[in-house]
Amino acid sequence: MIPIQDFLVLSAVLFAIGVLGVILRRNALIVLMSVELMLNAANLTLVAFGRAHHDSRAHAFAFLVMAVAAAEAAVGLAIVVGIFRSRRSVNVDELTLLKH
Amino acid sequence: MLLAPVTAQLVADGDVSTWTGPRVAFWIIGAIVVLGALFTITRKNAVAAVMSLVATFFGLAASYALLSAHFLAALQVLVYAGAIMVLFIFVVMVLNRDEPDRVAWNGVLVKAFIGVPAIVYLVWTLSFYLRQVVPAHPEAPPESFGTVAEVGNLLFTDYLFAFEAVSLLLLIAVIAAVVVARAHKTPDAPPPPVEERHA
Repeated sequence: MIPIQDFLVLSAVLFAIGVLGVILRRNALIVLMSVELMLNAANLTLVAFGRAHHDSRAHAFAFLVMAVAAAEAAVGLAIVVGIFRSRRSVNVDELTLLKH
Repeated sequence: MLLAPVTAQLVADGDVSTWTGPRVAFWIIGAIVVLGALFTITRKNAVAAVMSLVATFFGLAASYALLSAHFLAALQVLVYAGAIMVLFIFVVMVLNRDEPDRVAWNGVLVKAFIGVPAIVYLVWTLSFYLRQVVPAHPEAPPESFGTVAEVGNLLFTDYLFAFEAVSLLLLIAVIAAVVVARAHKTPDAPPPPVEERHA
């Protein structure tokens, strides 16, 4: 049996990489992909704890997280397409409309 | 031959018994997941980033299978590696642009000032608590654990409200995506100038 700690460390590493992507990258598409990475890291933690406690409710939770992630991806990509249509750019540093 | 000292060390630690098939599989899968994630956030080409993300999602599906979550492993491949990634690929193809400077280095000192202590705190806390985690059931789970029947049973009894709420959420997301991404044209608006139309 694999210790649950291994999965938790893997999940933490994955989440940290996702945070790095959100902070450092300028392409809105890559930022959205990094958000997906973070959601998956959370899911991995849920499933690992579900396995440790022999509790299938964790799987139901992870299923709901997946559905929410799919909705988030659809709306997020639609917003990116809409922004690209009006601004001709997907650079998050140029999207300062709400700042001024 | 080359690994002999390593193996000897492991035997000395009394640790070699834990290096079974699943453990080796976990390290291979973990390497795929982490490398795929790193490639995702470092590639200049957005299509390459999406492909690395697909590798990460397949690795995650494999680790779900290692955790006896068979239903979720199948869902991960279908929903993430299938549906969501196709969506990403389509959008990347539509608006693929070269970025002049892809990494936002401005204000990186402030970010590092906040981020480095945050990482130190995260590693410290994790190493502190992970040593205390004891798996409640180290033995193999029951045969029905993580099957479609068991998860479906939960979703349609205890979590029926959440399940129905998610269906409503997906409907809202579909409508919102169509409304937001649609080209905004009002019938009484004057036609755009020719040079804009061909831009």
